[in-house]
Amino acid sequence: MSHVRSAHAVGTNKSKGADGPSTSSVLKGAQNAWDLLSDEQSRRHINTGSADLNNILGGGIHCKEVTEIGGVPGVGKTQLGIQLAINVQIPVEYGGLGGKAVYIDTEGSFMVERVYQIAEGCISDILEYFPHCHDKAPAGQEKLKPESFLADIYYFRICSYTEQIAVINYLEKFLEEHNDVRIVIIDSVTFHFRQDFDDMALRTRVLSGLSLKLMKLSKAYNLAVVLLNQVTTKFTEGSFQLTLALGDSWSHSCTNRLILYWNGNERYGYLDKSPSLPVASAPYAVTIKGVRDAVNSNSKRVRVM
Amino acid sequence: MRPAAPARHSSASSSSSTYSQQEPRPENPLLLLPSSRAGKLSLGCPVLDRLLSGGLPAASVTEIAGESASGKTQLCLQLALLAPLSPLSASCLFLHSDLPFPLRRLRGLAPKSRPDLLDHVLVAAAHSPSDLISLLSRAHHLLTHHPGRLPVRLILIDSIASLFRADFDASPADLKRRSALFFRISAKLKELAHRHRCVVVVTNQVVDVVEGEAGNTVAWSSGRRVSPALGIAWANCVNTRLFLTRDADGPGGSARRRMKVAFAPHLPERACEFVIRRDGVFGVEPAER
Repeated sequence: MSHVRSAHAVGTNKSKGADGPSTSSVLKGAQNAWDLLSDEQSRRHINTGSADLNNILGGGIHCKEVTEIGGVPGVGKTQLGIQLAINVQIPVEYGGLGGKAVYIDTEGSFMVERVYQIAEGCISDILEYFPHCHDKAPAGQEKLKPESFLADIYYFRICSYTEQIAVINYLEKFLEEHNDVRIVIIDSVTFHFRQDFDDMALRTRVLSGLSLKLMKLSKAYNLAVVLLNQVTTKFTEGSFQLTLALGDSWSHSCTNRLILYWNGNERYGYLDKSPSLPVASAPYAVTIKGVRDAVNSNSKRVRVM
Repeated sequence: MRPAAPARHSSASSSSSTYSQQEPRPENPLLLLPSSRAGKLSLGCPVLDRLLSGGLPAASVTEIAGESASGKTQLCLQLALLAPLSPLSASCLFLHSDLPFPLRRLRGLAPKSRPDLLDHVLVAAAHSPSDLISLLSRAHHLLTHHPGRLPVRLILIDSIASLFRADFDASPADLKRRSALFFRISAKLKELAHRHRCVVVVTNQVVDVVEGEAGNTVAWSSGRRVSPALGIAWANCVNTRLFLTRDADGPGGSARRRMKVAFAPHLPERACEFVIRRDGVFGVEPAER
């Protein structure tokens, strides 16, 4: 029952999301269309760090949905994953969700020193945008330390696909005990499934089982699930083309899909799939502070080459 | 894969299977911060260390890609000799696929006063991908039991590309088989890196850029447009990619060499110049030129 209490605590907070998701979590499944609509409208988003990306995503990464983010190595998937794990923690009084994050690292790219840097960048931006709030709220000021942002990420490092399955199965129990988690990030969902699988049909079954489970968790615990995916070359119609890994059946298992790509020297996000939003793309940048809007060409970040 | 140890070492034989039986437990990133910052292996040069924010990270796989004679092997040998003296205080496991092992170069690099440094370099040859996989499966034992020797905290593989030179066609089926092996090798390396807080370095060769291989790192080196070998599948297998390039020979003497951070989870894309000297690879301050 502690789960319900906390959903209330989030909802009754002085800011916008006053009619929180508490009713739906008490009566699971009992919702009419009106409930669904008001639920959708009150639903909060997780800021990506870039206003342009938020824009094409309809406000940010959606809670209660599974979002897949794919792209080539080095384009910024992990950077965006870490950014979301930090931004989900932005306190409610600063327009955030004030939640915690679960980060499931399958590749070893979660570098804590970088997480610290991104947390610092997030805090310095908050203080810049809310100077008056900062003066008025000494209690909130105490909370804004990169250390506490780091400590509010539950970090799982897994080294095989059996461990990956075990962690995802364990999440149900974990999230029940930690009902302030608002995002689960898997970086990447792909890596351990690209080794030799003797039985490809088994792989497909395991993966669709995982995605189904994650979708249920996102609804039941009102959190966003973000799955990072790799890019692979696929041989079609006589030529090699870039496509997201894990095959065609997997591509149906996420609600939203954002593809990150290079356009010359600039990074872009492309919303490839969404139940409600049009296909669109927008530039973004990865800076020392983290994921941000791409700046105009005249003040472009200098590339030392 | 054979069991690594007799029954009395059962705790060491397969940590992954024992791990998955207990409940997964999250770690607190805040507690990992000090070791993430301090657990870096210096390259023995302040300029290169600054490029890499202190050196090569532990528990992570770093690729060093470059054309032949770009300094890859030299860097590996240098790291092997630095590891025992570094705060890591480690021996290294040097897996080489290019025969023979460059023993003379290693001896030439070792300071005359410290011939004992060579004792901390464990060498094994891998002739094929399956060779490498079985070596890595047995490495677990080597990494947990180190009587009378510094623990192995550095694994060097020189080079990954030469393992895949033969036995593979460009047919889709072979490419699939090949990339499955990449992911197996990489998963094994990352597991060793994570469980033993190892620095893992893998060198890679370059290939000329061909159409249809979009998505991979591209750079100019010696007047050629090149990418690290093994395609985008392998690019997915490393955490950090360092690219060693060389300007086309100009009229004014020796060509400039650069070390670029092509991608890294903890570093911005940036580069610095370096030189290869008899005593090693060293970065050059921009002002020194």
